[in-house]
Order: sequence, then structure tokens, then C-alpha cells
Amino acid sequence: MPTVPPQPLSPAEAAVRARTRAAVRAHGAVADFFLPDDARLDERTRVVAARMLGEAIGGLDLAIRRHAARLLGRAGPDDEAERLLALRDDVAARLSRPGLLPGELIEELIARVRHDALAERLTAADADAEQPSLLVRLAGVPDTVVAGAASALLAAENRRRGDTDHGPGGGSELPAELHHRLAWLIAAALHEMAGADVTVGRALAEATARSIAAYDEGDRLDAVATRLAIAIDARGHELPELLIDALGDRRLALFIAVLARALDLDFAQTRALVVEPDDERLWLGLRAAALERSTIARIALMLADADPRRDIESFAERLDEVAAVSADAAREALAWLTLPPDFRAAIHALGTM
Amino acid sequence: MTVAAHPVSVLNARLDREGRLIDADPALAGLNARAGGATGTLLAPPALATVVRLARRLGIVVSRRITVADDDADIEMWARAQPDGDGVRLAVSGWRETGVWTPPTDRESVQPDADWRWETDAALRLTLVSPVAGRSFGFDPFALLGKPLTALFDLESDGDGLMPILSALAGQAALSDQPARLRATGAAVVISATVRQDASGGFGGFVGGVRMDQVVEPEPAVAPAALPTQFTAGLDQALRTPLARIVAHADSINAAAEGPIGDDYAGYAADIASAGRHLIGLVDDLVDLQAIERDDFAPARDPIDLADVARRAAGLLSVRAAGAGVTIDRPGFADAAPATGDFRRTLQILVNLVGNAVRYSPAGTAVSVSVAREGDSARVAVVDRGKGIALEDHGRVFEKFERIDPSEIGGSGLGLYIARRLARAMGGDLSVTSTPGAGATFTLTLPAR
Repeated sequence: MPTVPPQPLSPAEAAVRARTRAAVRAHGAVADFFLPDDARLDERTRVVAARMLGEAIGGLDLAIRRHAARLLGRAGPDDEAERLLALRDDVAARLSRPGLLPGELIEELIARVRHDALAERLTAADADAEQPSLLVRLAGVPDTVVAGAASALLAAENRRRGDTDHGPGGGSELPAELHHRLAWLIAAALHEMAGADVTVGRALAEATARSIAAYDEGDRLDAVATRLAIAIDARGHELPELLIDALGDRRLALFIAVLARALDLDFAQTRALVVEPDDERLWLGLRAAALERSTIARIALMLADADPRRDIESFAERLDEVAAVSADAAREALAWLTLPPDFRAAIHALGTM
Repeated sequence: MTVAAHPVSVLNARLDREGRLIDADPALAGLNARAGGATGTLLAPPALATVVRLARRLGIVVSRRITVADDDADIEMWARAQPDGDGVRLAVSGWRETGVWTPPTDRESVQPDADWRWETDAALRLTLVSPVAGRSFGFDPFALLGKPLTALFDLESDGDGLMPILSALAGQAALSDQPARLRATGAAVVISATVRQDASGGFGGFVGGVRMDQVVEPEPAVAPAALPTQFTAGLDQALRTPLARIVAHADSINAAAEGPIGDDYAGYAADIASAGRHLIGLVDDLVDLQAIERDDFAPARDPIDLADVARRAAGLLSVRAAGAGVTIDRPGFADAAPATGDFRRTLQILVNLVGNAVRYSPAGTAVSVSVAREGDSARVAVVDRGKGIALEDHGRVFEKFERIDPSEIGGSGLGLYIARRLARAMGGDLSVTSTPGAGATFTLTLPAR
């Protein structure tokens, strides 16, 4: 909610404010009305993504504000520091006005929510009481590079799933660039709320720079899973079993990372193919990795059993057709994805202008 | 809900290249036949047919937990279809009857009052230990990942000298109130867990929770009658009213009374309403139980006509009986059986008896309600043609929280217990005779007038 201003508004100011709010709502309502059903966020995704955003903003806000207050307190009288700490304004609400937060940030959060929801619903493969599950086994292999990366993935998943229970435990888990942009936006909001004072601005800048410097995106689940995929370095003939075992161990991040490595794509791109319930490019990707009909069928079934929106019946109809696509043709169809992301964004921008 | 498991652990069937049934074990063939299927045609229960079709078309093993409707009950089972030469082999295991609404046995849910969570794989290696646990209780959760469960907990036996985790593993059932100590700190904890099933319904690991610093006190050995009066006195107000409101709102959501909603939400609302009705029934029973177990409980001893009460009970249940395709033969208007008792309580007993009889009667049969006088007692007999009750269960059905059929929808297991207590409080009795397969006869006697 926007904060209550300290001074009463003049009638003219109140009218302007009401007009702006009405325009924003009308715009939102029209956009919502024309949204196709399959583009509409389901309630769970919306709620969880909003909570993740709130936690990411809340954690950074607190860190920046505390350190800036410490800097202010060291430099001069304490009242500025106290004022900064005592700000009651809601940074998340200020930043949630349309257009302020980068779209990529929201995209990333939504993709992560979908990833976590799918991972949570995966069924464990038929288990053997004598044999630990895949990731536990990998954490104990003699190859220390693989074992270290597997232990790191166990820990990263523990952190991610533990955070879901008890609020933010670690960092924002955002890619570094998004983390940086979000940190500066939070600093700007605090700056505005504190009355755009120069001294406060300087302290906020230093605190934000410190927070950014301390952020290590290498701890993120995606990055850790990717490191394990690289350490395992599955050969072509090992790939089908590893992919199936990763899904059977309910380690969706590892599945995505292994597939991404096989296709030479990045984690986020591959995740997009995997978590969308009807992305044709997933099947092309599996063919591009030269997987056979039965492996593709098993992967499709495991994903469909975890996600009721996936239509396994109509996929079964098309399986022969999918299996008949040659690996080369599939790779060619996905070639666009292998271009550098900035290049793709630029091509896309030219196409829409 | 605990339910009758099928005595044969795995049932098999063979299907041809088109998915048509070649042959099947009798229980499976029977299930298929009751759903309208036959040898040489596609399987009739849709969920089974789907598993077979997917296995055939995908060319891989398909294993799923499915639910198949069979008469009144839903049957939950694991179905595994494997392409075999030209056809498909189907194996069904874990056959369990469930009611239409069962309290959720959500395999992912852990008790809500847990302080932190843990999970293992099938080999009991830890795959999750809440990070918050380490921060709050002084150990490193991350160092425990991949280690055996016993690296985290020292498991102890409970008050009865039993180890709940062993029975949980053996029966693949939820684990509750397992006393343990944190190996790192020695702190006493109570752990519980649900079982995560693997793709074939086998043990896939525990999803557990931990309560800190709580010792399970053994249940005080006090008679159940010690339910304090004040506990149930306010039940009507405290539970019935909000429950009724929940049911009413859920029904109107389900009916989309406020406007169109998504189908899945309508379905959730129906579940909520159904669960709410179950709870209201339970509250009613508990209020009754509390009343009749009081020492000073004394039902009225008015002159009543058992034939009249029986006709009314039959009338109250005629719509439900018609829905089930069952007729009720009630005493004629010429019949009379003057007795002494409490009219409302007697009606309650007979509604319970006739309701049970209707529920267990196969469609197309009749429930007979007749009255007679024998010596100084008047009696009414309710006879059904259902599956009957085994001799060794004749006493059990009148015990508290017991059920004739555990797949009973929404029952609390208190109905017959309450009915017999009421009958005896009025100076009469309630008894049963039955031969399995040939139906049951419940007889209520009251002092004749």
C-alpha cells in the first residue's frame, strides 16, 4: 500500500493522485481482460512469486539500510541514521508500481516458482532400500570434483527448500545482474523516502556497493547444478540414464543442467523449455541431444505425472513423429537459442520496431 | 482411513495389441465386469484403460496410483502396465477400498506443529534438513545431508517399548510420535513423518517433521466417560455453527452461486463441503456420546408405538433408498407394537439401523422392517441382503469407533455404539444376527406396554 503522506493533500493534488490511480487501474483491467487464459498466472504462481519478490526486496532493504545507518552514525550526528532506520515506508510497495521493476526479474521469479512446483511434484523412481538416491551416491563417489559438486547441490537444494519454509535464509538467489539492478532500485527508493538528502545518498551508495560486492551468484541452485553437470560430463551413451535418474531422484535442477550442457544452452533457457507445460522445443531439445524414442517417452511421462496440465495422451499420439526428427534437424530448429542472449534481444528489438 | 486391502497382493491381466482384455485374475476381471467390461473388449474402468493405452502407445512401462470406482466404494491401487511382445501385461497391487471422502492422506504433508523438517530417500539417507534447525538448535544441517537418518537422530523406543519407525517402515504407514534425541546435542525430540511413495507405490522415503523438547506423555488411564461435560456442552455452538457455515459457503462456491469459477476450485469446494458434513456428523455423535455416558442419563419412558416409529424412520430414508435402488418394506398401518421408550431416541436408533441397511444393500434388493411382540417386549427387526457380518465381528460392531465396513463414507464408528447404549438405557437392547454373504438382521427390543 502507498504510504500516507505526512501533510494533507490539497484538493488539486488529491484529484491528480486519484486520476493517476484510476488510469493505472483501468490500464491494468484492460490488459487483464485481453490476456489469453494460457498466459494468465495461476494463483499459486502469483502468490509464491510475490512472496519471493517481497523476501528478496526485504532482505536487501534491511542489509542496505543497516549498513548505511552505520556509515551515517560514524560520520556525524545519529539522527540521520536513526531516521533511515525508522523509515516506515514500504519499499516493496514503492517498487511494485508498474514499470519500475525489470521484466526479466519477474520472469526469473516466475520461472523459479514453476521449477520448484514441478520439482516438488515429481515422483521418486522405484527405490532400492539398499542403494541411496542418485545425488547422495554422487556425493560419495571417489572423484572429488563430482563428489564436491554433488554435495554442493544437496546443500543448495536444502537451502532453497528450507528457505521456502522459513523465509529468506540466504541471498536473493537472483542472477548477479538482476541482483545489482534490484539493489540500486531499493537504494533509490530509500533515498526518495529519506528526503533525497545528499549525505544519506552517499551512505546508501556505499552500502549498496558493499552489498553487491558481497553477492556470489555462484551459490545459486542453477549455478551449482550446472557445475555438477560439467563435473559429471556425461557422454552421449550415459546421457539417457543420467537424465532419467535425475528426474527419478526428483532433482529437476540437475536434469535441466545436464540437458542444458548436452544442448549447449544456458540453464535459464533450458529451464524455460522444461517447466512450460506445452513447449514444443523440449521435444526438439531431447531429439537434438540424440535421445531415443523410449527415453523421450519416459521423460514425458515423468513430467506429465508431476504436472496435470501436460497432455500425455496427445503427446503419445505424436511420439512417433517426434522420434522421427533427426538430431541434426532438431539442433537446427533450436539454433536460435544458441545465439548470445544480448544478440537475440537485439534481433527481437529490431523485429518489433 | 484404514480400509480393507485385497488379500491377493498382485493381480495380473493380459491385453492384446489393441488393449483388449485377453484374461485376468478373477478379482480384476470382476472389477472390470462390474464397470461394464468383458474379455475381448477394452478395459472398462477409465483409469486402468488409460494406463494400458499409455504403455502401449509410449512403448514403456507406465506405473501409476489410480482410483477406480466400484459400486459404492472407490478402490485405490497401483497399476503397472508393461508392453510385452504385441500386447501389454497389467499388474495391479496395493488394492485398497476408500470412502468417497477420506481424510487427506497427503504424502507430502507433515504435522503442522513441527518445528522443522527432514526428509530421506528410500535408503534412509537424509536429503533435507531444515537450515533453520541448525541456526536454532545448534548443529550443522548441511553436514548431515546424504548421511543416514541415524546420524541426525538417536531413535528410542516409546512408552510401550515399541519403535514406531519400524512399524512405519514395515507397513509403509505414517510415522508418528517416535521419541528420539538429536545426536548432536542430546536434545529430546519427537519425530513424525509421512511416507513418500515411489513410482510403483513402494517406499520412496520419509517426509518428516520434528517437535523439540516435547516428551509424549502416556495416555492417562482414565475411562473415556471422563469427557468433561463442559467440553461437549459448548460443542453445538462452538463447532456446529461454523461448520454449517463452512459447508453452506463451500456448497455455494461449488454451485458457482456467486458467478463462474474454475472447475478445480469448484472441486475443492465440494471436497470442503463433504469434509465439513463428515465433521458435523462426528460432532453430533460426540454430543450424543457425551449425553448417554453421563451417569444421570435417563431417556423418557413414554408410551410409543414401535411400528409407527419404524414407518417414520423408513419414510425419512426413502429418498436415499430410492437413489441406491433399494426398496424398504415397512410395517403396514394395521401393525402396532406398543412399547415404552423415548420417541426421539427410538427414532434415532431406527434411522441409524435402516440407514445402515440401505447403505449395505445391493441395488435391486429390499430392506425389510417388521415389528412383533415377544413376551413382555416389543421388537423391531431390520433385515438387509447385504454382505453380512462375520460372527466374530458381531460384538465388535457395537463397540466405540468400530465399523462394520471401514470404507463407510463419513462414519465415525459411533452410530451403533450409541444406538445400543440408548436401547439399554430405555430398558431394551439391540442385537445382531448375520451370516456373511446372506445379510444381517438388527433387532431392537423395548419393554412392551
